[in-house]
Amino acid sequence: MSDVSLKAVRKSYGVLEVVHGVDLDIKAGEFVVFVGPSGCGKSTLLRMIAGLEPISGGEIAIGGRVVNDVPSPQRGIAMVFQSYALYPHMSVFDNMAFGLKLAKTPKAEVEARVREAARILQIEPYLDRMPKALSGGQRQRVAIGRAIVRNPKVFLFDEPLSNLDAALRAQTRVEIAKLHAALDATMIYVTHDQVEAMTLADRIVVLNAGRIEQVGSPLELYRNPVNTFVAGFIASQRMNFLEVKASANGLELPGGRVLALNHAGIAAVKTLGVRPEHLLLADAGNADLSGVLAVVEQFGEYALAYAELPGGETVTLKLDGAPALEVGQDVHMKLPGEGLHLFDADGRALR
Amino acid sequence: MKNQANPWLTSNLWVLGLGMLPAILLIGVLLYFTAWAFAFSFTDLALVGRKSVEWEWVGLENFQRLFTRRGFLESLWTTVIFVFFSAIVGQSVLGFLLAAALRGTRSTLRSVVEVCIMLGWLLPDIVAAFLWSATTAQTGLINQLIIRPLGLPPVNFINDYALPVVTIANIWKGTAWSYLLFSAALDSVSREVVEAAKVDGATPMQRIWLVQLPIIRPHIATNMLFITIWTFTYFPLIFAMTGGGPGRQTETLAVFLYNQSFARGNLGFGSAISVAMLVIVGCLSLVYLRMLREPK
Ligand SMILES: Nc1ncnc2c1ncn2[C@@H]1O[C@H](COP(=O)(O)OP(=O)(O)O)[C@@H](O)[C@H]1O
Ligand SMILES: [Mg+2]
Repeated sequence: MSDVSLKAVRKSYGVLEVVHGVDLDIKAGEFVVFVGPSGCGKSTLLRMIAGLEPISGGEIAIGGRVVNDVPSPQRGIAMVFQSYALYPHMSVFDNMAFGLKLAKTPKAEVEARVREAARILQIEPYLDRMPKALSGGQRQRVAIGRAIVRNPKVFLFDEPLSNLDAALRAQTRVEIAKLHAALDATMIYVTHDQVEAMTLADRIVVLNAGRIEQVGSPLELYRNPVNTFVAGFIASQRMNFLEVKASANGLELPGGRVLALNHAGIAAVKTLGVRPEHLLLADAGNADLSGVLAVVEQFGEYALAYAELPGGETVTLKLDGAPALEVGQDVHMKLPGEGLHLFDADGRALR
Repeated sequence: MKNQANPWLTSNLWVLGLGMLPAILLIGVLLYFTAWAFAFSFTDLALVGRKSVEWEWVGLENFQRLFTRRGFLESLWTTVIFVFFSAIVGQSVLGFLLAAALRGTRSTLRSVVEVCIMLGWLLPDIVAAFLWSATTAQTGLINQLIIRPLGLPPVNFINDYALPVVTIANIWKGTAWSYLLFSAALDSVSREVVEAAKVDGATPMQRIWLVQLPIIRPHIATNMLFITIWTFTYFPLIFAMTGGGPGRQTETLAVFLYNQSFARGNLGFGSAISVAMLVIVGCLSLVYLRMLREPK
């Protein structure tokens, strides 16, 4: 268990800079998730921590020791790759034992550590098999087992679940969470999937185009996103953003009605954000927004209704149960008292 | 995979037959020539003269001559040395080392090396033979540029070290193939697997030896199969450079076969030599094909 700290870490490929100065402190034993759209530099950042990619600028320290020039094996890390990266020509046992054998660990200890990891991951029956005789989920376990055997201070995961089907992904997610609790190790986990981020993380690091947008616990990010990017990214249903005009007594909404609001910085508000699950259905009389229902998606436990406003914008409502709605009918919506997000012209949140 | 032939084709046997005609012809011609060589290896057929028409069956005499007369066994040994050093050690190992070393580098060095070895591959054998002869002769480039300026007496490499010179020439000529094949094979090894080995603490040598080489083992076996067969029967470069000489120093089986069949006109004996070569190459292929199989 070790802390990890990044100071102004940069990465360039030739003249192209892809990570623009990242500062981050990860506490020992913490589960941190890097999340962001594809190509934002998550893997690059993780690979720099792993020592697979040279650092173009800044400083990375693991357990208080600057590791910029320390080779991977001596950093006390273990990595689980997206493609599992098992050695195809070695049995499961040899895959897990490879690192220990290279380090000239006594045979009895290799045996004991591999068996222990196999027991934790329930892959003991497959120890003699070759990787190609395993299913995707089993390969994933072997890859995690190979990491556990090394007894690392920091675990690094690069999108470890993205090659699994949905059911297995949910199951493995739970197991990784259990593993974190059991091993008590620092874990850094990269994903583009915000559900994995929300469910696994102690803290989420939202990355965009090589920069950190926000760091915080899942609920902090859900409740107080600092900008429209984080607000749009974190949540299973994307937040609705409405163009508004600040006026003397509140905000003028699309459709012309005015939302009465008291806020010190109200003059700067350009965008109003509201999550689909916070929008309420209302009567024509007391509605803030009205539109025509374009699409309804029924999920049984909830439904998503897409309403088109007169100005052409679409807002999403998440409704409990299975509401009786007809496409083409008028929908009237009320904004909630709590859970409104105000953003200025640059997309920054106003508190 | 059974019964997956196109139903339209299987119900039209005429069309099927017509489509297979070129293949049938080709196989027929191949079989015909093999059978021809096999049959005449039991005769005393000659290229010219009386025996070219009035040949007789001589039983196993030609095959006995392979082992009782000078020539065949010496040539076989020369061929083994030539194949081992130029194909297996030279082209294959050098090709692999170059592929492994230049991998991932995008430098001018890489382009230069690639152009050089591709030139060897693309240059016609006869031109290459002329270049090598001219370079290694007593008045050649090496003597002019290196030996003479050092104040040493000139050396006639092509004459004094004929087999090594021919071997080196063939390495230069054929390394491109192995290089390209191994480059492609190494590219097929997932980058993440190599990185996993790096995290596991493998040194660059261990990564190559314990991870990459075992993964591309089937490619290595395939490559060995190809270049062994090619080199075993390789003819033009050696013949054009030395004609098999001086003496019989560079007379590989292919050159020996040519000399016996066409220079001396013993077509019957030549057929026996080619049958023997066929058997040897066939046995080697079996060995490599076993290597291609997965370990249990
Ligand atoms: N070897 C490389 N050479 C040049 N650019 C690269 C290289 N590796 C990654 N990049 C670029 O760096 C950016 C971040 O990549 P990556 O960290 O893999 O993104 P993510 O994992 O978040 O999807 C991408 O724009 C990608 O094109
Ligand atoms: Mg990635």
